[in-house]
Amino acid sequence: MAKQIHFNKASEMPDVSTSLGDMDWNKTGAWRTQRPFYEDKTPPCSVACPVGNDIAGFIQKIAQGDVEGAWNLVKEENPFPGVCGRVCFHPCESKCNRGRYDEPISIHGLERFVSDFASSLGRKIKKGSGARKEKVAVIGSGPAGLSCAYHLTRLHYEVTVFESSSFTGGMLRIGIPSYRLPKEVLDREISEIETLGVEIRTGIPLGEDLGLDDLRDYQAVFIATGAHRSRGLHIPGEKGRAVLSGLDLLRQINLGKHVRLGDKIAIIGGGNTAIDVARSVIRLGKRATLLYRRSREEMPAFEDEVMEALEEGVKIRYLVNPIRIGQIDGLKRLECLRMELGEKDESGRRRPVPIAGSNFFIEADSVVIAAGEEIEVSFLPRGMERRDGLVLTERDGSTGVKGIFAGGDLTSSQRTVAHAIGSGKKAALAIDCYLRGKDSEEAIRQILIGEGPAISIFRYLHPDERPRSPHVVTFEELNMDYFEPSKRRREPRNPIKKRIRGFGEVTSTFPEGIALEEAERCFSCGRCNECENCYVFCPDASILKREGIFSRQVDYDFCKGCGICFFECPRGAISLQEEAR
Amino acid sequence: MRKTEIPVSENLGRGHLACAGCGAAVGMRLTLKALGEKTVMVFPASCWSIIPGFWPYSSLRIPVVHAGFVTGGSTASGVRAALDIRGDHEALVAVWAGDGGTFDIGIQALSGAAERNEDFIYICNDNEGYMNTGTQRSSATPLFAWTTTTPVTRPNENPKKDMMAIMADHHIPYAATATIAYPEDLLRKMEKAKRIRGTRFIHLLSPCPPGWRIPSERTIQVSRLAVRCRVFPLYEIENGISYTIQEQSRAVPVKEYLKLQGRFSHLTDQEIDRIQERVDDEWQHLLRKARC
Ligand SMILES: Cc1cc2nc3c(=O)[nH]c(=O)nc-3n(C[C@H](O)[C@H](O)[C@H](O)COP(=O)(O)OP(=O)(O)OC[C@H]3O[C@@H](n4cnc5c(N)ncnc54)[C@H](O)[C@@H]3O)c2cc1C
Ligand SMILES: Cc1ncc(C[n+]2csc(CCOP(=O)(O)OP(=O)(O)O)c2C)c(N)n1
Ligand code: SF4
Ligand code: SF4
Ligand code: SF4
Ligand SMILES: [Mg+2]
Repeated sequence: MAKQIHFNKASEMPDVSTSLGDMDWNKTGAWRTQRPFYEDKTPPCSVACPVGNDIAGFIQKIAQGDVEGAWNLVKEENPFPGVCGRVCFHPCESKCNRGRYDEPISIHGLERFVSDFASSLGRKIKKGSGARKEKVAVIGSGPAGLSCAYHLTRLHYEVTVFESSSFTGGMLRIGIPSYRLPKEVLDREISEIETLGVEIRTGIPLGEDLGLDDLRDYQAVFIATGAHRSRGLHIPGEKGRAVLSGLDLLRQINLGKHVRLGDKIAIIGGGNTAIDVARSVIRLGKRATLLYRRSREEMPAFEDEVMEALEEGVKIRYLVNPIRIGQIDGLKRLECLRMELGEKDESGRRRPVPIAGSNFFIEADSVVIAAGEEIEVSFLPRGMERRDGLVLTERDGSTGVKGIFAGGDLTSSQRTVAHAIGSGKKAALAIDCYLRGKDSEEAIRQILIGEGPAISIFRYLHPDERPRSPHVVTFEELNMDYFEPSKRRREPRNPIKKRIRGFGEVTSTFPEGIALEEAERCFSCGRCNECENCYVFCPDASILKREGIFSRQVDYDFCKGCGICFFECPRGAISLQEEAR
Repeated sequence: MRKTEIPVSENLGRGHLACAGCGAAVGMRLTLKALGEKTVMVFPASCWSIIPGFWPYSSLRIPVVHAGFVTGGSTASGVRAALDIRGDHEALVAVWAGDGGTFDIGIQALSGAAERNEDFIYICNDNEGYMNTGTQRSSATPLFAWTTTTPVTRPNENPKKDMMAIMADHHIPYAATATIAYPEDLLRKMEKAKRIRGTRFIHLLSPCPPGWRIPSERTIQVSRLAVRCRVFPLYEIENGISYTIQEQSRAVPVKEYLKLQGRFSHLTDQEIDRIQERVDDEWQHLLRKARC
């Protein structure tokens, strides 16, 4: 190696001045004023994912053609990729760095693809081994409950889920219509959870047949009973005939029950339930008009779904507020007030204010009220604190009652599937900590994705894996020279005429080739994917390969600290730090 | 983005004396990956006379002949003849000369060798100035650039000499431009040159952090922008007549390139416009040559 050459006499020198040794003795690392080092960071998409999916990770697997690997990674964090890929409103995509360049990655589309493609390969999740002696009871088989049960099983607990109805899946089954979420997909993902070893017992409601006292055999309980009580409008006539609750109607349609409805349906509300009711009744051959008291901008329903509803012929009347439901010649007669928008309220939306004397009438065969859902409190244990119609919990899901945790719609005003799954996962971790006598706050801090709120249970299970800095990679930290503009791929969509003829799924899953193309658009923000740019451009051959294999190691004996590797990394996976002088 | 594949063999060892972020060090490392270890390289005086290390050491894993500043073409002719006499027709002879050693002081030796169609690859490592001796102007220095001999009070008044056209007019079998930000293109051209006999000329643009007044981590970016803004288009000329351009999908204004470099920081908007006009004209000229 570092061979120094000495000549004692002139005669020892070669006749021609030929070099006799290399320069390896010259440790140019001593010149360095700044030090590059490999440091995986946090992509913004996964910070925005309430589930805590390893988005960059699974997308890179798809890009490498390893869909099975992608599925394994997804399933580390999320038992419901097929569900989420379809119905999650994908907040990840609005934070995707690619959106700053051209269009965000279709993360939901890829998540859905992974789930469907893996199932077509006959992928089955491996059964966990119930090594721990403690048993945990989960109340409610919605996404929150099942996510908690799934992760607890993976943490080797024996878990029993108690579900009041005869169906599993909660709102996923009775709320979300099958044109958005086919029942086969839900069944498939729930049966994977059961295969893992989760026992689900249906027809056992907490409070009636089952008291908390009956659960003494269980060392911890997770309650996720959701929000299933339709909120009333508190206007005269709402209890009358041919006035239905949106959730009841959806439940009947979703369970394949025959519903008796007139032809012209007025739906009161502007949330997802209202839209789902409208689109469902359109599919039953009815006419649907939504009455919403604010304007389109304030509508809580997701933009895409409002669009699809309009396409399918749903009428929406904005700034209309029903104040009385009357009856005229077998028709329902809604007395309404016109509204205008006033000051912002606490939700940041402009408050609707009635215009005095603007009363008018709308007629319909049936009226559906979809004004939101409330939680059921009668069976909740004493001592469980509540506020604003929600059960209060710490961020780990603990309720203040020892050994009892809660999550999902019961505890959160952010009522989405992804939040429910995320809260179930967090509770699983907290229950593990509780049963082992560990500090759950500390455990959560260790595995937060970025600054949170979501956590990575993969990191909890594999603490020795490659560490990741919580630093969230910004668009400016990427090197766009390496990416050509390209269009976001869209899922194929059935023509409107075909859509409204039945409850078949509106969109379809990416074909494999398209999924691959879409995956290749991902920058893999902050996550080295071994593109080897750093190796290619180092002027000092100081990015090491060992036996031809890229090592992600810098040879600090020779690295001069030019920073080329740092700058040319397309994805900000190398950091630069000033050398101590 | 697609992964860039380059050969793993390293014929440039470590401990060399190039400045941090030296474009010519990246260029040499990539070039030697393509040319391989059975290469004899001739170094007329330039930065690369110094970079390998000092006697009795060398960081290069190939034999090198250090030569007089003016003698790149003639020394290589001699090395080739000597190898041929010894019956070694396999070893490749290459010259690695600076722009000063090529455009200016070495041009007669190069022209003579090219006219005789001597069998070697001549690589002009163009850093647009006499960098080894402290950034003096050469005839490769671009219009309006600052150097120590063309201070901002009187920047370089002459546009860069068109060395590729001069070499094309020698009707040598192969001439090509290359730069470090495009490693696959660079490797391909070196490998192609290696397979051809006769005089092959590679015009290699290598940004120089101290001389161009750029931060050391920007070397590759500046090289890339030189191509994207068409200051330095990538192209090949076969037998002096047949042009092929490696067109880039993203063309950017020359300003993007100039503004990164301290040697252009004194430019007025009018001067930038004039540079842009020249770049546009030369690009059109090149396109015409490629079309006929
Ligand atoms: C019509 C509609 C459409 C929606 N669409 C979307 C969407 O597209 N995207 C999205 O992200 N979110 C959507 N949501 C919201 C989403 O469905 C919920 O946020 C989510 O299902 C909440 O999960 P959970 O597990 O907390 O509760 P739930 O899904 O409500 O599950 C609770 C379960 O507990 C059971 N249960 C209740 N009481 C008891 C008891 N006493 N004992 C035992 N079991 C009990 C229930 O039967 C149910 O199975 C929609 C909601 C509705 C109503
Ligand atoms: C005849 C002669 N004149 C001057 C020098 C001093 N000298 C050594 S290298 C050099 C500059 C070379 O410039 P260039 O060819 O562009 O190569 P660079 O150093 O920029 O790589 C000069 C002037 C010399 N070695 N020989
Ligand atoms: S480009 Fe990929 S890693 Fe980056 S934010 Fe978007 S999905 Fe996440
Ligand atoms: S490119 Fe090479 S020399 Fe430059 S900082 Fe990176 S490892 Fe060090
Ligand atoms: S340049 Fe490529 S290989 Fe190097 S750290 Fe970045 S992503 Fe990884
Ligand atoms: Mg030079």
